[in-house]
Amino acid sequence: MTAIGDTAEKTYWRSLEELAATPEFTEFLHREFPVAASEFPESMSRRRWLQLMGASLSMAGISGCWQKETIAPFAVRPENRIPGIPQRFASSLEIGGAARPVVVTSYDGRPIKMEGHVDHPASLGATDTFTQASLLHLYDPDRSRDVLQFERDQRYTRTWDDFAEFVKTLAASARESAGKGVRVVAERSSSLSRARLAGRLLKLFPNAKWYEHEPVSRINERLGSKLAFGSEARPVFDLARADIVLALDSDLFDFHPNSVTLIRAWSERRVPESGPMNRVYAVESQFSTLGTVADHRFALRSADIAAFFATVAQAVNTLVASDKPANVDMAHEDADAKFVRVLASDLVAHRGRSLVVVGPTQPPEVHAAAHRLNKLLGNLGETVTFVFEPVSVAVETTDPLADLTAEIERGEVDVLVMLGGNPAYESTALAAALPKVTHRLRLGSYVDESSLVSTWHLPRAHQMETWGDGYSYDGTLTLRQPLIDPIFSGRSDEELLGLLCSGEHTGSESITRATLEDVLSTGNFEEAWRKLVHDGFLPDRGLSKVTPELQAPTDAAADAKRPAGLEVVFTPSSSTYDGRFANNGWLQETPAPLTKITWQNAALLAPSTAKELKITTGDVVKVTIRGKSVELPAYVLPGQAKNSIGLALGYGRTAAGHVGGSLVAGVAPVGVNIAPLRVHSTTTFDGDVQIAPVGKRVTLAITQDHHAIDTVGLAEIAGRIGQLVREGTQKQYAEHPDFAQHAVHHPPLESLWTERSSEGHAWGMSIDLSKCVGCNACLVACQSENNVPIVGPEQVAKGREMHWIRVDRYFAGDVDNPQIVTQPVTCQHCENAPCEQVCPVAATVHSPEGLNDMAYNRCVGTRYCANNCPYKVRRFNFLDFTGHLEKANEELARLIINPEVTVRSRGVMEKCTFCVQRIQNVKIQAKNDQLPIADGAIQTACQQACPAAAISFGDLLDKQSQVAKAHANPRAYAMLAELNVKPRTKYLARIRNPHPELVTAELEGHGHAHDQTS
Amino acid sequence: MSTVTADFLNNTQEQPGVRSPLVLGRHDNTTVTERICQIAESPKPPRAWYIAISISSSFTLMLFGLIGYLVTTGVGVWGNNAPVFWAWDIVNFVFWVGIGHAGTLISAILFLFRQHWRTSINRFAEAMTIFAVVCAGIFPSVHVGRVWVIYWLLPVPNQNAIWPNFRSPLLWDVFAVSTYATVSLLFWYMGMIPDIATFRDRATSRWRQVVYGVLSLGWTGSARQWHRYEKAYLLLAALATPLVLSVHTVVSFDFAVSQVPGWHTTIFPPYFVAGAVFSGFAMVVTLMVPARAFFGLKELVTLRHLENMNKIILVTGSMVGYAYAMEFFTAWYSGNRYEQFAFINRAFGPYAWAYWTMVTCNVISPQLFWFKKVRTTPWMMVIVCIFVNIGMWFERFVITVTSLSRDFLPSSWGYYKPTFVDIGMFVGSFGLFFTLFLLFCRFLPIVAMAEVKSVMPANHANEDH
Repeated sequence: MTAIGDTAEKTYWRSLEELAATPEFTEFLHREFPVAASEFPESMSRRRWLQLMGASLSMAGISGCWQKETIAPFAVRPENRIPGIPQRFASSLEIGGAARPVVVTSYDGRPIKMEGHVDHPASLGATDTFTQASLLHLYDPDRSRDVLQFERDQRYTRTWDDFAEFVKTLAASARESAGKGVRVVAERSSSLSRARLAGRLLKLFPNAKWYEHEPVSRINERLGSKLAFGSEARPVFDLARADIVLALDSDLFDFHPNSVTLIRAWSERRVPESGPMNRVYAVESQFSTLGTVADHRFALRSADIAAFFATVAQAVNTLVASDKPANVDMAHEDADAKFVRVLASDLVAHRGRSLVVVGPTQPPEVHAAAHRLNKLLGNLGETVTFVFEPVSVAVETTDPLADLTAEIERGEVDVLVMLGGNPAYESTALAAALPKVTHRLRLGSYVDESSLVSTWHLPRAHQMETWGDGYSYDGTLTLRQPLIDPIFSGRSDEELLGLLCSGEHTGSESITRATLEDVLSTGNFEEAWRKLVHDGFLPDRGLSKVTPELQAPTDAAADAKRPAGLEVVFTPSSSTYDGRFANNGWLQETPAPLTKITWQNAALLAPSTAKELKITTGDVVKVTIRGKSVELPAYVLPGQAKNSIGLALGYGRTAAGHVGGSLVAGVAPVGVNIAPLRVHSTTTFDGDVQIAPVGKRVTLAITQDHHAIDTVGLAEIAGRIGQLVREGTQKQYAEHPDFAQHAVHHPPLESLWTERSSEGHAWGMSIDLSKCVGCNACLVACQSENNVPIVGPEQVAKGREMHWIRVDRYFAGDVDNPQIVTQPVTCQHCENAPCEQVCPVAATVHSPEGLNDMAYNRCVGTRYCANNCPYKVRRFNFLDFTGHLEKANEELARLIINPEVTVRSRGVMEKCTFCVQRIQNVKIQAKNDQLPIADGAIQTACQQACPAAAISFGDLLDKQSQVAKAHANPRAYAMLAELNVKPRTKYLARIRNPHPELVTAELEGHGHAHDQTS
Repeated sequence: MSTVTADFLNNTQEQPGVRSPLVLGRHDNTTVTERICQIAESPKPPRAWYIAISISSSFTLMLFGLIGYLVTTGVGVWGNNAPVFWAWDIVNFVFWVGIGHAGTLISAILFLFRQHWRTSINRFAEAMTIFAVVCAGIFPSVHVGRVWVIYWLLPVPNQNAIWPNFRSPLLWDVFAVSTYATVSLLFWYMGMIPDIATFRDRATSRWRQVVYGVLSLGWTGSARQWHRYEKAYLLLAALATPLVLSVHTVVSFDFAVSQVPGWHTTIFPPYFVAGAVFSGFAMVVTLMVPARAFFGLKELVTLRHLENMNKIILVTGSMVGYAYAMEFFTAWYSGNRYEQFAFINRAFGPYAWAYWTMVTCNVISPQLFWFKKVRTTPWMMVIVCIFVNIGMWFERFVITVTSLSRDFLPSSWGYYKPTFVDIGMFVGSFGLFFTLFLLFCRFLPIVAMAEVKSVMPANHANEDH
């Protein structure tokens, strides 16, 4: 065993000591970035793309860390394995206590892409950003490699055997006290195996305690159910059946574990030609994704939502009781009262077909009230059903970290096992108390904040490296199968628990099989197991359905009116979730859906609040709650509730890695950690807030409106949006279904050149704006499929992000209550492509099938094409964004690359190809099989990931294809068609379904088409 | 007469029936030769020349250093971004190409129109053209992402059998600028042969004899040679004349043929040509005024010459001003909202400061040339001309950057800020320009001696009577 010095890097080098003598190596070591980074001027050397997935430095050790490496050609090809032909496996991924079903594409044994599971009811083929991007962690060079022991400020590299030795003695002494002083703090999990082993552990150590903690907690929902029904019944919403949805501070389309299928179900009801549309009322403090697409949105402080809801419930009660509308003096009704009245009448009018949902920010009482209202409206069993929560052995508490800290402070804890999570980052109190615990064992993917205050750090395997099981949110039993052997020496939670129980190492496959043996106890286990592995889930062995009975309301301590004034709402981050994805470059660079901020969290303020406080976007502000304060930049977001400040969790990591921030590696944290402001580790909002500018300004890395827009620009944007993103109301649609095609008038268009006709196929796309929610799933899917590089915050701030598909977001109307329109924009594959005409070297040319092809090898980089592209979808490699992958020591990071897509070099233009590699694969297959290409056989990556199924793709020459039908839809329009570029992508106009009584001039105003036509 | 001024160097008074002399003082053929040759023949150039060239060559070195940095690191060292994919690289290119216009205009067009006053400034202006085109050529060459394959823009037969795209204005640009550079160089060089021969004949050191001997291509000054020379000069002038119009027309096509609002406009070709002549003449005046004082050429490059140039600046400046106004009119009249916004944005958007700098320098400042005092006072005209040059740089900035920064989709709007490399390369290109210019002044005949002699009053003494 080797004692290692105090710097983290050195540990990486252990296995390469023999190299250390060479002069090249010495030089390599002295330069923090072995790539040409030191040649950059100060401001550039921080660019994260070089640090992407950890500076290449750390990678040099990889070959030494691989457990076993055999380099030999296949003398006999393994069965079912054709080199270069990808394989797909059903698996799943657990985030925040719910399994997310996936199908993973694997190339020659390395997984490269995660996609949704078409057959699984919790995916239907779509995915979300987090699930897709979590694959990047598999190849993250920052991931922890070795078992480490920390003793007196020294770090020693150990082995699992050393740890097993240690555990034996520890377990022996713990058993004497029946586990008194043993505590476990784990992430929430739906895993049956983990629950089984946790039960076994608690049986062995009856006095031990098991805590479960998620910083993005759904505990309010569980307690709400308990309050209403007396049991933790989990509500499962059926948006497909709901005509009217009232969403209170909900996160249904954002962080809800079932968001993917919820979006799908909602979107199916947003197509005016296929039946009545649903109508969504959102009342919320922050802009949720559901709020952006709601027909009516009411911005309200989170603290006021309970009271608001009480008035709605009251109104509904009255209506239900009397069954005829009360007499209202419409002329003198104020807007808020009118909103409540209309909402209540709408809910009552759709009894059994309406739905009230409450988000996890709201206290349990509001959840309970919502259940009661749903009951009153007859929605229980119709639009909302219930399943049991998965079994948990955890201590029942609202603030596990605080309870644990208290126990530690009282000296009651000797052994603390931390399974994943990052408690030391989330709770400074816990981090401070931890040294009082003698043995602190941490299983973690990274040597992060919690590992650094432990005595043992154990590398946690990536979920794609081990077997596992769990339930998706809707309760379907879902299997997780590994795609690759652990790259480092990582082990799963279950494997560690097994080791703690028995002192012996049991593989995750045996553990999972042993667990499922009971569940699959039907005849031939082996057969059932194989089917499960193949399918990835079992439809009929999930969490059991339950029809809970409402309990009489306990003394409804009707949430007393909260004091007015500022509040802070703690939200998960759309990029880092709770901080676990902080070292994920894809997610860090994914723009937040509304603010479009990357690589940063900001204090979101309503325009009116910002005006009062004299704060503008980019001002650094100090947010103080009862003496605790953080400083971070402000962002003024139209539609944010007045006096509500939104702060995203998951930033300010000090030991995340080379992407998310690492003090050891000298990489400044990304964003600011706001956890210190939370009173409890699950606090969702709080009052008693002060906020003040500190007199500094920063430039935020924003992908849209890179710079503040002046009044001239704003006026123009207001005039343009109606033409670019066409939308109308249900009423307008009913009157003139083709209103969108008449929004712009232009003289007859004539071409300079003879136009091409398509040969064989004419690939085209359609994007239904009525369905799009702007969730970014397409963006991450594209990044993963097409090897889109990460550029880092400095480059994003300069406007050099590389995403091939982006989601444009515009505000319309009142700044305090704006309408949001989102529009995914990618290469439109114009038939008269302006880019092609101006390229002097013919590097971008038209394919006979109508694709606007880009020959990277031919590109000289004049950038003329990008200037001439009216959609600005072309992306230029201003710097060497991918060169680091060529370095010999980037073996690991390189494994994520899709081999079917060229990695672009510096100085080359790139853009969306309509996933030409996927088209070619299907074409070749079809040719071999001598069959025509079936509609839907080709799916672009964005289309495949889209939870809303808003994107269709296919052959326009096939008149029966989905895309041809979409192009023929009366709502279809081509953006900027007046330029005669003849785009192959058409948008379907967005239809809103406002309540007739709440229609404002604004709503009717958009797409004011027909007045002009006559 | 009462209007006769005491200053014999001022030949700007109009005397009906009498042509003003184009060479002042009591010059004969010998003194002209002496005056010009001594500049290149003095054993040591003045100290100021050393100071000037050390400064300018330092900037040149900086330019090449930055080009090295650019090529090894990527276009990202500039401030260019999405959507402003072209910025100072193209601004500087068009700026320098524009300056390179005066030379050929003076040499070719004024020659064909028998404007004899051109003789004492044409060499100077042609040299300036060549050097400006050198500076101009650098920017588009290094602005591409992969400089090492830039030869793909040339129609070179290759193993891939791929030809350039002849529909691309950038390709036309390659042809236009390279043709222009070639013809200008030939024209300049050919015109210099008799004078180089004079240098050769007067050379005292061996190396001068050899170098000038080789460069003068065996010129003896025989009548037959003069005959061939005059013919060839006329032909080249005829060849160069359309180029004056074509180069900047084609440069303007880079913009006009695209569909970026603010670029896509048919007014560009004449407007660019006028602007180019405008900036070229301004640059000639800016350089000529100090040079004639410094090298003692006030009798050869007279105030009347300068005044004539200032009149051209006034005319072309007014044309440019008209074009600015007409652009706004066309945008409004087109009824195209994107086009209209491009111009509103120019004048009132985030780059309004650049637009109004341009208008002040290009439209308002040359109007001062309506005053004869300004037109004929060297320091005043230099100030105006420097303003014109600043304004013309901003014109290209406004056209290129402002239009690109806000085109069709507001989601993609951006803002461009230069980096130190942008600024350094622009300053460095001036370094290169002045380095070449100073070398020219030191080693080549800066005034066309042979031609000046043909317009000297002394040689026409008998014609008046």
